[in-house]
Amino acid sequence: MSEFLYRRTGMVFTEAKRFYVERRVVERMTATGSGSFASYFAWLRNDAQGEIEHFVNAFTVNETYFYREDYQLSCLTSDLLAERLRAKRRPGPIRIWSVPCSTGEEPYSIAIWLLENWPLVDEYEIEIVGSDIDTGALEQARSGVYGKRALMRLSPAITEKYFAPAQGETWKILDDLRQSVSFSRVNIVESAETRAHGQFDVIFCRNVLIYFDDASRRIAAENLYENLAPGGFICLGHTESMSRISPLFEVRRFADAIVYQRPAEGGNG
Amino acid sequence: MPLIRKTADPLATAPPPLAEVISAFANGTSEERWVAARSAHDIPGSAKILGEALTRERNARVREAMFTSLARIATAESVALILPFLRSDEAYLRTGALDALRAMKGAVSPYLQRLLEDGDADVRLLACELVRNVPDDEAERLLCGLLEAEREPNVCASAVEVLAEIGGADALPVLARCEQRFRESPFLVFSIKVAADRIRSQP
Repeated sequence: MSEFLYRRTGMVFTEAKRFYVERRVVERMTATGSGSFASYFAWLRNDAQGEIEHFVNAFTVNETYFYREDYQLSCLTSDLLAERLRAKRRPGPIRIWSVPCSTGEEPYSIAIWLLENWPLVDEYEIEIVGSDIDTGALEQARSGVYGKRALMRLSPAITEKYFAPAQGETWKILDDLRQSVSFSRVNIVESAETRAHGQFDVIFCRNVLIYFDDASRRIAAENLYENLAPGGFICLGHTESMSRISPLFEVRRFADAIVYQRPAEGGNG
Repeated sequence: MPLIRKTADPLATAPPPLAEVISAFANGTSEERWVAARSAHDIPGSAKILGEALTRERNARVREAMFTSLARIATAESVALILPFLRSDEAYLRTGALDALRAMKGAVSPYLQRLLEDGDADVRLLACELVRNVPDDEAERLLCGLLEAEREPNVCASAVEVLAEIGGADALPVLARCEQRFRESPFLVFSIKVAADRIRSQP
């Protein structure tokens, strides 16, 4: 089962994760009414009623919140965007990719942060794309409805400015902001899927490569390299290091964060 | 609000024919060679082409993609094509080969014993890293076998470093004998002590 999941997603679940895997398989067996593992596995392999998608969704981790690791957002508005603007040769939007975006907190955080902290936000078109392999998470992202826990790091003023109270203890992102972020499904170890998203100026790819093995990490790194415009930046999670994964990127140390950069044209190939 | 909305349109792409890859490797720009290298793993018969092109390629980015493609193929043939690069005079190629082999897991396992017995100490040293790919019991057996006979302290240090992470009680007498043989080498004696302490502290 772990091998099947690895082939489909690049995520690695070793013996140490047996309990985690078993629990999710049992959940899916119950949901599909499978009486035995063999019958469920046959159901899964045949992708009956889109089971592969449900299965993959069950294994993704969607625990996140607004303004998580916001030192990288500071770096975005303090340094990265200015450098990208200087390097841009052609007119066109600044493109920012949040991948994986889970239930949307990160791409919406980027949008809010830019509106609040980047003085040039009115002068440029900014395209923010959130992508994830989990279609259930993407549906939640598109709905833009969040609970108290997801908003815990936002000030009351920001919450009031960009969210409207919804049912129960939930808040819904204002429509204008919700429509300024687009969402798409992507598996970052599938080159055909990542290439279709084009090139970005900045990519936020946080806390996903840690779930991959060496082989999948290499593939993902090369895909992300292609998705960066020359001179573009990639931000990883604070425990991750691209230098340990791939020599394709250069390390850049800014005041707020360490990020990785695709060499500008003429550098590294 | 000034932010704009656009929708991505995912499209599937088929791998190019092998002849196109060969042509790109021979005459293409670095970008064309990169694209060819990245797509080659999906094309039957591409391993040999990748291996040959890798010997000529000077661009670090394209080499990286070639190593990744060979790693994705992950057959005995692709392992055999990468192994000679462990002996390269260029550090980048040695490291690239090591990283690619590390990503091949099962495919490289049958070669480990031979690599650990290689006449080149640098190859034996790199092979110690590759041993991390196999299950802990097998890794311990391979590294203990190496430590019993190894004469190069740097190779021993590499094996000890891995054993510190994956070794069990069976490794302790082997480490003690290694320490005796290299008692004139303070660095190795210290490394062995750290490894042995770590192994003993495990439940």
